[in-house]
Amino acid sequence: MSHEHHPKDEELQTGSGVGRRDFLRLAGFSFAGAFLAGCQQGKIEKAIPFLIQPEEVTPGLAYWYSTTCTGCSAGCGVLAKNRDGRPIKLEGNPDHPISKGGLCAVGQASILSLYDSHRLKGPLLSGKEATWNEIDAQVTSVLSRIRQTGGRIRLLTGTITSPTTRAVIAKFFSRYPNAKHVEYEAISCSAILDAHEITHGRRILPRYHFDRAQTIFSVDADFLGTWISPVEYTAGFRAGRTLEGTPPKFSHHTQIESQLSLTGSNADERIAVSPAEYEGILSQLAILIGEKGGRQTGLTSKINPEMERRVQRIADRLWQTRGRSLVVCGVNDLRLQLLANFANHLLDGYGNTVDVQTPSFQTNPNDAALQDVLHEIKAGDVGALFIAGGNPVYDLPEGETLGANMRKIPLVVSFAERMDETASAATMVCPTPHFLETWNDTEPVHGAVSLTQPTIPPLMKTRSFIESLSAWMGESQTAYDLIRAEWRSTVFQRQSSKKTFDEFWNDTLLKGFVTVSAPTFSQSAFDLPSFTSSLNKTDVPKDDGSMMLVLHASPTMMDGRNAHNAWLQELPDPVTKTVWDNHASLSRNTAEKYGLAEGDIVKLEVQNGGDVELPVHIQPGQHDAVIAVALGYGRKGTDRFTNIGPDWIQARPTVPPGALVGKNMAPFVGHANTLLTYITNSVTISRTGRSYSLVASQEYNSLRDPNLLGEPTGERRPIVQEATLAAFSLDPSAGSFRKPHLETMWPEDHKYTGHRWGMAIDLNACTGCSACVVGCQVENNIPVVGKDEMRRNRDLTWIRIDRYYDENNDGSFSVSHQPMMCQHCGNAPCETVCPVLATVHNDEGLNQQVYNRCVGTRYCANNCPYKIRRFNWFEYKRGDEMQKMVLNPDVTVRDRGVMEKCSFCIQRIELAKIEARNSGTRLKDGDIQPACAQSCPAQAIVFGDMNDPESKVSKRMKNPRFYKVLEEIGVRPSVGYMTLIHDRPDDKEKQHHG
Amino acid sequence: MAEVYSTLRTPLVLDNKSYSDITRDVCETLDHRPSTAWWAAFIVSFSLLVIGAVAIAYQIATGVGVWGLNNTIGWAFDITNFVFWIGIGHAGTLISAILFLFRQKWRTSVNRSAEAMTIFAVICAGIFPIIHTGRPWFAFWLIPYPNFRGPLWINFRSPLVWDMFAISCYFTISFVFWFTGLVPDLATLRDRATSKIKKKIYGFLSFGWDGSNRTWHRYEKVYLLLAGLATPLVVSVHTIVSWDFATSVIPGWHTTILPPYFVAGAVFSGFAMVLTLMLIVRRVLHFESYITLHHIEQMCKVIIATGGIVGLAYATELFVAYYSGNEYERFAFINRALGPYGWTYWIMVSCNILAPQLFWFKKLRRNVAVVFVVSIIINVGMWFERFVIIMTSLTRDFLPASWSAFTPTIIDIATLVGSFGLFFTLFLLFSRLLPMISIGEVKNVLHYANNGKGDKK
Repeated sequence: MSHEHHPKDEELQTGSGVGRRDFLRLAGFSFAGAFLAGCQQGKIEKAIPFLIQPEEVTPGLAYWYSTTCTGCSAGCGVLAKNRDGRPIKLEGNPDHPISKGGLCAVGQASILSLYDSHRLKGPLLSGKEATWNEIDAQVTSVLSRIRQTGGRIRLLTGTITSPTTRAVIAKFFSRYPNAKHVEYEAISCSAILDAHEITHGRRILPRYHFDRAQTIFSVDADFLGTWISPVEYTAGFRAGRTLEGTPPKFSHHTQIESQLSLTGSNADERIAVSPAEYEGILSQLAILIGEKGGRQTGLTSKINPEMERRVQRIADRLWQTRGRSLVVCGVNDLRLQLLANFANHLLDGYGNTVDVQTPSFQTNPNDAALQDVLHEIKAGDVGALFIAGGNPVYDLPEGETLGANMRKIPLVVSFAERMDETASAATMVCPTPHFLETWNDTEPVHGAVSLTQPTIPPLMKTRSFIESLSAWMGESQTAYDLIRAEWRSTVFQRQSSKKTFDEFWNDTLLKGFVTVSAPTFSQSAFDLPSFTSSLNKTDVPKDDGSMMLVLHASPTMMDGRNAHNAWLQELPDPVTKTVWDNHASLSRNTAEKYGLAEGDIVKLEVQNGGDVELPVHIQPGQHDAVIAVALGYGRKGTDRFTNIGPDWIQARPTVPPGALVGKNMAPFVGHANTLLTYITNSVTISRTGRSYSLVASQEYNSLRDPNLLGEPTGERRPIVQEATLAAFSLDPSAGSFRKPHLETMWPEDHKYTGHRWGMAIDLNACTGCSACVVGCQVENNIPVVGKDEMRRNRDLTWIRIDRYYDENNDGSFSVSHQPMMCQHCGNAPCETVCPVLATVHNDEGLNQQVYNRCVGTRYCANNCPYKIRRFNWFEYKRGDEMQKMVLNPDVTVRDRGVMEKCSFCIQRIELAKIEARNSGTRLKDGDIQPACAQSCPAQAIVFGDMNDPESKVSKRMKNPRFYKVLEEIGVRPSVGYMTLIHDRPDDKEKQHHG
Repeated sequence: MAEVYSTLRTPLVLDNKSYSDITRDVCETLDHRPSTAWWAAFIVSFSLLVIGAVAIAYQIATGVGVWGLNNTIGWAFDITNFVFWIGIGHAGTLISAILFLFRQKWRTSVNRSAEAMTIFAVICAGIFPIIHTGRPWFAFWLIPYPNFRGPLWINFRSPLVWDMFAISCYFTISFVFWFTGLVPDLATLRDRATSKIKKKIYGFLSFGWDGSNRTWHRYEKVYLLLAGLATPLVVSVHTIVSWDFATSVIPGWHTTILPPYFVAGAVFSGFAMVLTLMLIVRRVLHFESYITLHHIEQMCKVIIATGGIVGLAYATELFVAYYSGNEYERFAFINRALGPYGWTYWIMVSCNILAPQLFWFKKLRRNVAVVFVVSIIINVGMWFERFVIIMTSLTRDFLPASWSAFTPTIIDIATLVGSFGLFFTLFLLFSRLLPMISIGEVKNVLHYANNGKGDKK
C-alpha cells in the first residue's frame, strides 16, 4: 500500500487545485451522477451527516462495546463491533472468564436477529397494536384486582442469570400474596439439579471443569455442541488436550451415546448404545469404582459381557486418574444423574473437576415446578400469567393444550420478541428488545458478573422485561437505573479493588465483566443415605428391545429460539451436514430393515398417541434401536423463508408450500415422574412411500474411494492425517505423511520480503462446531442462498467444515472434522488460468480475488484442488432492507456472475497495518485475527506472518504434526493442518486384542 | 460418345456430366423458390434457434445459475457444447486445406459444404465461451486492447486467452478461405442471375471476377497460400482447446495425451457431421453424381482412422492412470467408467469405438443408410466424450467432501438444442443462397478417370 506512488499527490502539490486527472474524474463523476439520477433505478436514499458529530464516532472507523451474549444462558462475553451507529459483528471477548474469546455459531448469528423485520414493532393488546400506556393501564388494573382477591400470579421464564432481573422479580412479587416464579428449559437438565439437591443438599448446577479432567466419561452429554455451556466446555476440553510436555498433556474422553453428537464425533472412544443401557453402564461403573475404593455400593447391574469388559477399562482409567476424572451425564433422568454424582463422588471429582462450591447458574430449570404451574393453569387457578423467555406453547409437550388453557386466564402477558406461538395465545404482548439494544446483567457462574449494554437505539418500540415490571410497580425506572441501583447495593459490595461505584461501573462497562467475590456455597459432603434412599425410589429402565425415539437439541436451532435466523437455518449441522430441516436419523441397519433410503418419508407413531411424518436420514454411528430427531424445528412463521432463495424457472421453494421449516417434535417430549424426558420407548415406523428432498452440504462422507455400490473402500486419502496418542508419544510426526520432495524448473521469483501470511489449523483442537462458518459469513457479507441452492451445492460460504466418517472393517467408527478455506497457494492453480487477471498473488502471499475484474469464467474454481471458490450464480437476496444493516461496509457486496472466496479477511489485515503505521509501531503477532480464528472457541485456527519466526503460525508450522493438504501436487498452500490425535488403541494393538 | 471409365481409378463425377450440367445441377436449386421440404426444415431449425435464443436471453438476464452447474462443477453443457462444435468444425478445414495440399481430388465435391459447416460450427462454438461467463457483457475483457485501467493487460498464461486467439484466428482464416473459394462460383451466380438485385449482390461479392486466365492464376495462388495457412490450424485449434484441460491440475484433465486425442477426435466428429449433412444434401438435391459412394467411402476411411486414434487414446488414458500410481488419477478414471456417470462413458465408448468398426466392411461403407446412422451415432458419442472428460472429472476430484453431481436444467438443454437450431438454420440459408458444391473445382476434376463430355469451347 505505502509504496504506491500516486500521480495524484504530485498534482495536488503543484497547487493547481483541480488537476487534469481530477478534472476528468470529476467530470466523469458528475456525468455518471446525472445519468444515474436520470435512470431513477432504485430508491434515492438520503445520507445526512451528523448535525453534531458524537465525540467517539469517526465515520468509517469501528468502535467496540463489550457486552454479553444472551443467545443462550451460558453468558459468553462479547465485543460488539459498531460502524456508523449500528452493530455489525460480534466477537468473543478474549478476557472473559467463561468464553475466553470464543463465540459459538448461535452467538455469531444472533446479530442477524437484531435486524429481523419480523420482530414485533411495538406492544400488542388482544392482538392489536397498542401503546405502552394502554398496556400499563390494563396490566395494573388487572393486577390490583388480583392483589385484592389474592389470585395467583405466575411467571414462567427461561433460566434467569441476571441478578438485577431476579431482584426486580422479587420486588414485584413481594406486592402480591400468591406469586411464583418458575424457570424452565424446553431442553431441560433439571435432573442434574434435582440430583444435587439429593446428594449435596442444594439444588445447584455444578461447574464442570473439563480443563482439569484427565479422564472424561460422558453419558449422552453433548458438552461440545449443545449442553449447558458449549463454548466454555470446548475451551476447557481443548485446554486439557494440548499435547504439550512429556508425557503429552492429553485427556482421554469416552462418550456413551445412542446417536452421533458433535461431542461423540470428537471422542477418543465412542460407544453407541441403546439409551436403555445407560443405567446398566453407569451402575456397573459405580460398582467397579466402588470396588477399587474398597466401598460397597449395594448396586446391581446387568450388562452384556462385551460391554462389561469395556466398562472395566473405562473404570480402570477413571480410577487411575481419580481426582482428575470427570463423569457427566446429559440425560434428564434422576437415576442416571444420581449415579453420575455417585461416580464423581467416588472418583473425588467434587472439589476438583466438579465444582459445587462456586457453582454455575447457566441453566436452572425446575421441571417439577413447571408441572405444578401447568396443572394450575389447567385447573384455571391462575389469575395472571407472565411468560418471559421460552415459548411454552411451542416447546412444551402439551403446548397446544397450554395454549388453549391460557386463553381462560384473565391476563396473559408474553414478553416475546416476535409473534410466536405463545405470544399468539397471550392477552398482550410486551416485546422485549434484542440484547444489543438494551441494558442487562448476568452472573452465569458464581462470581463472574457481566454487563450487557445497548449498542444501538431500539429499532422497535420495545421495553425490556425489568422496565415493564418496574412500570407495573408504578416506578417506571429504566433498565439502566435498575441495574445500577442493584449493582450499587450488591455487586459493588462484593469487591474491594474499586473505591467508588462509578469507577467500578465504568471499569466493568469497559471490560464487559467483573470478577467479584463469590461466597462459597458450603461444601456439603456427599449425602450417601439420601443418595441410596432416593436411588431406590427411582425406576430401573426396562429394555423391551423396541425402537426408541431420541429427541436431541440442535446446535443451531437449540430449543427453537433460532428458527427465524436464516444463517443458522442454513448452517450445516456439524454432524449430519443437513440444512433447513430436521429429520428422523436411523442407523444403516435399521434403514435397511425397513427398506428405507435417505429422504424417504416415514411415519413415526408413539404409543400414547401422536404421530409425525419425517424424512429419513441415514446416520452412521447411531444405535440400531434408535430414531433420533432434533428439537427446535417446525416453528410458526418459518414459512417466511419460502422464497429466500433466488427466483428462477426451476427454483424450488426453501419451505414446501403450506409447511414450516422442519417438524416440531416437542409434542413427543415425555414425562417421567415430573421430569421432561426426551427418550420414548415403543415407537413404530411405517413407510409412507413418499420421499422428500433432504439437503446436506456434503454428499460423500468418507476419505476412502467408493466402490461400485458407492460404499467407501480401499485406501484412505491423506487429506486428514491422524495418529494415535501412543504413536505420537513415540514419534511426534506420526501420521503426518512424509513431506514430498518437489522438483521445480522455476526460479523462486516471489521473494516475500515483507509479511507472508499463513494459517495453521489444529485438527486436534477443532471440534467441528462451525462457529467459524457463521463468523465468516457475518464478517464477509455472505448471503443466504436457500435450500434449493444448497441442494444444488451452491452455498457461498468461504469456510466450510468437511466432516468425514471412517467406518473400519472391525466395526470401529471415527469422525474427523476439517475446516477448509482458500489455501492461498504460493503456486496457485487458480491464478494461472484466469484470463483477465481477476485473481492474483500479492507480495504478502495472499491470493486475491478482484471482483470488479472478474468476468466469471469459473475456470479458477474448476482448477482449485480444494474446491473452495464460490460463484455468484444469481443476484442473491440479502434479506430485507433492515437486514442489509448488518452488512460489513469494509467488504464488497458481490454482484452476480463473479467468483469469490476466502480473503484471509484482508480488510482486517489492512486495518491492522494502517493502525500500526499510524501509531508508528510494528505489527505484532496476533494483531490480525481473521473472523474464523477469532470466533474459534478451541483456538484451532492460528493466523500470522510466516516470515516472523516467532509468530504462533511459524511455530506451528515447525511442529512435527504440521502438514499441508495435497502438498504433493505442488500448489504450495499457505494453510496447513496439524495432525488429528486420538487416544485410541493402535491398529496393531487392535489386531492383538481382537 | 461412349463413356470410358478408368479401370484403375474411380471417377469423381458420374453420369457423364458436362460442364454446363454441373453448373445447372448445382445452381438449379437457387433458381426456384424453396421447396416445402426446405421450408419445413427451416421452420423446425429456426424454432430450435428461437428456443435457444430465448434460453440464452433468460440466462443472461437471470444468471448462470439457470444452468445445472454448482461450486464443484463449474463447466458442463456449456464447455461441452463449445468443444463439440469446435470439433465439428475441424473436418471442413481438414478437407479444404490438408486434402487440397495432398491433392486429394475427391475433396472438391464436399469441400464447399464442409467449409460452410466449419464456419457455422465455429459460430455455434463461439457463443458458448461468451455466454458461459458470469458477466457476458464483460467478455470482451478477454481481448487485449489498449485501455485506461492501468493499463490492465490480460493473462497470457491462461489457456482461455489462448482459446480466444485460437478460435478467432480459426474463424477468420476459415472464413477467408471459404470466401476465396466461393468467388468464382459467385461470379457464375452473378452471370446466371435474373434479377437486378441478385446480380448486384453476387456481383459485389465476386469482386469483379472475369474468368480470365490471370484471374484464375491469382486465385489459385491465393487459394494455395491460404490452404498452407489453414493447415496448422487444423492441429493447433483443438490442441489449444485441449490445453484448457491439460494444463489444469484436476485428475482426468491433467494429461499430456489430450492434444492429439482432441485433434483426432475433432476430425473424427467433423467427418461424421460432414457425412450426416452431405448424405441429406445428396439425397434432397440429387447430387448423387457428384457425391458418389466413392466419396462416402473415403470419408468413412478417415473416420475409421481417426476413430482408431481416439480409441487408442481412451486405452492409453486408462493405462497411464493405472500405471502412474497416482491415487487421484487412478480414481478419476475408475470413476469415469464405473462411477455415477459411468453410463456416459459407455455411451462414449460404444458410439465412438464400436460403431465405426462397421466401416471395416466395404459393403457397409457403401451403404448410405448404414453410414448415415453411424455418422449420427458418432456425433452423439463425440458430444458425450467431451461431456465425460469435462464433467465427470470435475464431479469427484481431490477432496471427497466437495464431490458433487450435475443434472442439466431445461435451460441447459434448450441452449444445446438452440445451438443445433442455429447450425441448421445457417446451413439451410447457405443452401438457398450459395452453391453447395464448388462448381469451378468440380469442373476441374470432371475428367478424372472419366471421359466426360465437357462443354464445347
